[in-house]
Amino acid sequence: MSAARAAIALLALSAGLAHAQSPEALAWLRKIHDATQRLSYTGTFVYQHGGWSEASRITRNAAADIERLEVLDGAPREIVRTRDTVKCYLPDSRVVKVDRRSADRSFPALLPERIGTLAQHYDIELGETRRIAGFDCQTVVLGPKDNLRYGYRLYADVKSGMLLKAVTFDPEGNEVEQFMFTQLVIGGVSRQQVRPSHAAREWRVEDTGAQPAHLAGWGLSAELPGFRKIVELKRVIGRSRPAGQMVYSDGLAAVSVFIEPMEGRQDPVQTGLASVGAIHIYTREVANHMVTVVGEAPAASVQRIGNAVEYHQPQR
Amino acid sequence: MNERISQLMDGELEDAAAEQVIQALGRDGEALQTWRVYHLISDALRENQPLPRAPLVPLQPRRWVALPVAASLAAVALVGWLAFSPQQGTTPQALVAEVPVTAPAPAKPSVLRVPLPRATSDYLLAHQGVSPRGSLQGMAPYVRMVSDQAQEARR
Repeated sequence: MSAARAAIALLALSAGLAHAQSPEALAWLRKIHDATQRLSYTGTFVYQHGGWSEASRITRNAAADIERLEVLDGAPREIVRTRDTVKCYLPDSRVVKVDRRSADRSFPALLPERIGTLAQHYDIELGETRRIAGFDCQTVVLGPKDNLRYGYRLYADVKSGMLLKAVTFDPEGNEVEQFMFTQLVIGGVSRQQVRPSHAAREWRVEDTGAQPAHLAGWGLSAELPGFRKIVELKRVIGRSRPAGQMVYSDGLAAVSVFIEPMEGRQDPVQTGLASVGAIHIYTREVANHMVTVVGEAPAASVQRIGNAVEYHQPQR
Repeated sequence: MNERISQLMDGELEDAAAEQVIQALGRDGEALQTWRVYHLISDALRENQPLPRAPLVPLQPRRWVALPVAASLAAVALVGWLAFSPQQGTTPQALVAEVPVTAPAPAKPSVLRVPLPRATSDYLLAHQGVSPRGSLQGMAPYVRMVSDQAQEARR
């Protein structure tokens, strides 16, 4: 009798858990993931945070796997991403920044088979349906299970799964930033539409030269719960500043720790906290190095990771 | 000159202007002393800033108030800078000892709000490429690195 009662209680409990990570909601995340990789589209979207808002156009050719983002206000800055490189064109300073992406599986993508594990840190639920830019959209909410990470409200086209709007909110529920398409056409994108508009022949090229590395001696005295190290890289920041980069992630949000030697630095180092949209940037000095932590996470999380950075002379 | 030094600390000067001020710091003992005092004040304020947590006032909940050194210095000037600095023999240490009066000691460790680093767009380029979120949203989040704010930080 009591065993039966316990079994019923267990069933009720598992039903409660299932509600917090419903299979339908996870299926919707997979649908969005799939649409992001599969669809060609072109549209105008608005990026909003605080009092700022900026309009850009995004165009993607799925067959060639090339995506192009142009800022529509002010100087025509542009980013073109191919399978293995990201090139950022800055016409006002005549600079092209180039970041190469390793094609192997060590690249920290969110793989479809890993989507279920997001439920460890987020309550994933379906919300209302709503019309955005002419598309009927399903809302998928990823609510943070603690105050160490942000939550996300995703609005995806019911038919195709294309993400029309993404809102980031803090653990108190306040909106931090949002991306929203105001106009979108799915399909019919030519190769010409994803070519960079700048020839950039005489421009200065800043190649980040990113490659996997082991940053001997560097680590965290305590990891942030739910965030584990996913990759370590060496790269160049700007024209010539050598830097190490350690990346921590909970599967969705990521925090990068950049480590640069202080020697030979021109500008004075400003230690403290800054932010742009949902990104916090926290700078401090550790072992004669400048440590810059950049993360899409609440300020306290970015600071906690920054304050845990330590260097131990590697044993020979 | 004092204003130039404060602008240098805030990263508000063009390269050429910053170079001039840095050279002046090498030549001019008084300017160098001011530079040191400003840093001590900035450090003291950093240790005494209340932690900017979830906003208590619901007005403008999303607008973080950046606290550049210049603004902090202005606040300090109100309570004591003019009174203390011209006096002979006032050491920077004595000056800083007075600064905590302006802010009650907070219970939690605090952090100084600073302007975005000049290399913000480089950091964002490097960060965006390794963020798993891109798998759900394509390259839209890259817009942050070419946003007006990130670009202004480079100047």
